[in-house]
Amino acid sequence: MHRLGSVPRSHLVALLALLVLALYPAVQPYDTYYQTVLFTTFMIGVQAVSWNIISGYGGYISLGHSAFLGIGSYTAAIIALHSGVNPLWVAPLGGVVAVVLAVLVGSVVLRTRGHAFVIITIALLLSAQIVATNWRSLTNGSDGITLDLPPWSRDIQNIPFYLIMLFLFTFTVLFSALIRRTKFGTGLVAIREDEGKAAAIGVDTTRYKVTAYAASAFFIGVAGGVYAYFLTFLNPVGSFSILGSVTIVLAALAGGRGTLYGPVVGAFIVGIGSEMATVYGGSSSRVLIFGLALMIIVLFLPDGLLPTFQKAWRRYRPADTEYTDQAGALGAGTMQVRDRELASAVVADEVEASAEKLAGKPLLEVKGASKAFGGLVAVDGADLVVKQGTITALIGPNGSGKTTLFNLVTGAMKADSGQVWLDGTRIDTKKPWERGHMGLARTFQTTRLFKSMTVLENLVAPLPDAKWSTMLKPSVAGDEAVRARELLAFVGMEKFAAQPAGALSYGQQKLVELAQVLMLEPRLVLLDEPAGGINPSLVGRMVEIVRDLNRQGVTFLVVEHNIPMVLELCDPVVVFSHGKAIAEGPPQTIREDPAVLDAYLGDEWRPPAVTGTPAASDRPQGVR
Amino acid sequence: MTELLQAVILGLLIGGVYALMASGLTLVFGVMNIINVAQGAFLIFVAMVTWWLWKHTGIDPILASVITTPMMFGLGWVLYRTVIVRIRGSSPSMSVLLTFGLALTIEGILNITAGNKFKSATPSYFEESFRVGDISLPKSQVYGFLAAMLVLAVLYVVLTRTWMGRAIRASSQNPSGAALVGVGATSTAALAFALGASTSGVGGSILSVLYPFFPASHYDWISRLLGIIVLGGMGSLPGALVGALVLGLAETLTATYGSLRWATLVFYVVILAVLLFRPQGLFGTRLREDVAV
Repeated sequence: MHRLGSVPRSHLVALLALLVLALYPAVQPYDTYYQTVLFTTFMIGVQAVSWNIISGYGGYISLGHSAFLGIGSYTAAIIALHSGVNPLWVAPLGGVVAVVLAVLVGSVVLRTRGHAFVIITIALLLSAQIVATNWRSLTNGSDGITLDLPPWSRDIQNIPFYLIMLFLFTFTVLFSALIRRTKFGTGLVAIREDEGKAAAIGVDTTRYKVTAYAASAFFIGVAGGVYAYFLTFLNPVGSFSILGSVTIVLAALAGGRGTLYGPVVGAFIVGIGSEMATVYGGSSSRVLIFGLALMIIVLFLPDGLLPTFQKAWRRYRPADTEYTDQAGALGAGTMQVRDRELASAVVADEVEASAEKLAGKPLLEVKGASKAFGGLVAVDGADLVVKQGTITALIGPNGSGKTTLFNLVTGAMKADSGQVWLDGTRIDTKKPWERGHMGLARTFQTTRLFKSMTVLENLVAPLPDAKWSTMLKPSVAGDEAVRARELLAFVGMEKFAAQPAGALSYGQQKLVELAQVLMLEPRLVLLDEPAGGINPSLVGRMVEIVRDLNRQGVTFLVVEHNIPMVLELCDPVVVFSHGKAIAEGPPQTIREDPAVLDAYLGDEWRPPAVTGTPAASDRPQGVR
Repeated sequence: MTELLQAVILGLLIGGVYALMASGLTLVFGVMNIINVAQGAFLIFVAMVTWWLWKHTGIDPILASVITTPMMFGLGWVLYRTVIVRIRGSSPSMSVLLTFGLALTIEGILNITAGNKFKSATPSYFEESFRVGDISLPKSQVYGFLAAMLVLAVLYVVLTRTWMGRAIRASSQNPSGAALVGVGATSTAALAFALGASTSGVGGSILSVLYPFFPASHYDWISRLLGIIVLGGMGSLPGALVGALVLGLAETLTATYGSLRWATLVFYVVILAVLLFRPQGLFGTRLREDVAV
């Protein structure tokens, strides 16, 4: 993210460039060659900036993105041909068709994590080419479609196209900027960084990804219609060329994917560079040049020019404040708030109210849950009840299935059998983010913050409900940011709001992760080893925070090996061994229970190297 | 009925060849999480070399794989050591972009050196067929299938019975654990990449007889192969085999009862239909995650 001071500067440069480019045809109206080169550059820009939404922000690479350009071209051309309307008027329909296609393909392929998407995007491009070649009655096959020449004078032929494409380009950049400012944009970056974690904090990853893919298709589709009319001719090979996709990827990478202006800068480099390569090197060497350029960028400039340049500049001029949080300091003075007054606002009122009514009722119920990894049964018909308003502990030797149970409860894994109920609703068939929206939150044994994002961005990434309006709220500005700062203040981390999360110490990350899940306004928080690997004073702070939240009505289920802390903080204590609960009761009873002592120290005890096989869920720390 | 039987048998024959070509891709993905988009370009490169050898020395194109296979093993090893190794540890999407760049580079070099024309190796048996009852089996397809099956069998033995195979499998399941018992991650990865590339040695030589090709044909091939491993489940060898047979059958059946022009599209539709019900592919397993890796 840009620091506050640098944002207006980059926007100013962009505005100035836009003005110069918009006035250029007025100064040189008859210079068609340069107008054509710039027109192509703007078109690359539209595509690279759009591509950046799904592949830069979201991290899902599309290698067939030029398919949308071809689809837009064909849509506009076919409608224009049959209706006699000027193709420019129907160009937006090309965008609509591109979006429909993206939603259809995306909702099949983007439901899971992984690499099927990139492969299907290549298939999409080639399939589109096959359809355009073979559906002769609609597309006229490989002969292609010829459109009427534009009605305006030949002398100024290119100027309208030039201006329309520049307008589209500008609009695409604004659209991309808008997306990046919303919780949707932050969520996309979260998905790129750690998709499983994003799902755990309420981000409906499927919806985010499909929406991003659709958003990345629209303007390309519109540009396709304009481009078809500019050429007045289109055929399958030209419209669905893989080299077009390479151009997009190259532009976005060269400039810096994941940034707002990177793809813009890249479009100018690639647009002008590829024209120069054609003029001086001949078109036959273009493939070779593109291939080498792609390899060189991936190997030596993976972040792209703009971020690399910014990093170098910052090293050269490190004048910016690194630690203090500008917005917080200049804002409403929430910085030094550490009093209990404000902390009580942490939990929504309705949660508090319902907590009082329901105290003592079962909030979480696990009934006969089982999960095996191959032959190793990690959770074996486990039953567990967490009552409303308690801080319940779950202890047990390494490999006893505690973290796996967490995974079954939060939906990171699917149980082989058994049920999970939250407050009277069966949740084991629900998606992880749906469980998050119902008020179930968790932290991880090894913290999983989004390391390249700032602490504040980490806090605004969670999505507390399934509403589209929430998803499209501004993220690091407005209500969300205010609440995030309150929660950071509550855990005592407000000073670090502008820091990249990866720069924090491990214990600090644990506190930030707790604050992060509190953004979900949870009713039940699962803490996985909150005191693991942090220093005693931070343990004390963690205990204090958990107590505080519990008083406000938040229920906790805590997995912890720090037994003194468990006995002090938690009641009741549940003891797990070999995948099920073997004892439950108040801490003082548990301390003396022979079955518990046996489970920890008895003849069934094995060194961690044996119990901690790779398939077991509680791997000892350090072996990853 | 004869028509159907003919289509099915031809589909299985060509499917066997696809299986071999896809095995290298899925192996490399399974072991090091790299999608080698350049595998298609490897195939076309080998087909070019085979064609050249056949043209100038008269050696049988399919037998030429005795030369091209070690050549590709060596090339794969060198490519891994010099280029691919540099992106170890970065996200898999970087590997897609890098190998995509590699594929374009190979295509560009072939464009300049071999020219942008269709080629095809046509040995003496090129137009001959075996006849079994009413069914005719083109000799080139039968030989190609047999060669592919032989190499797949060898690959299976290498992976299950040799130290190298065990090292590769150990490394794919638990790299740090493998390193602790003396299996170096980098050298194993180089071996796996080389092994994956070497399958394109045989595959490319067979291709040169079965299909006409030119430098840009690698897009068709890589999208076929990637389709196969998505359908089968990424990283799964049995999945690649099944996916390849499905592709072979989809192609011959569409060609027999419809038109060859739609064959590839039919295959993609099959993939989407399968992904609709099994997002992880036929033989794929969902990744597990609990503690952060």
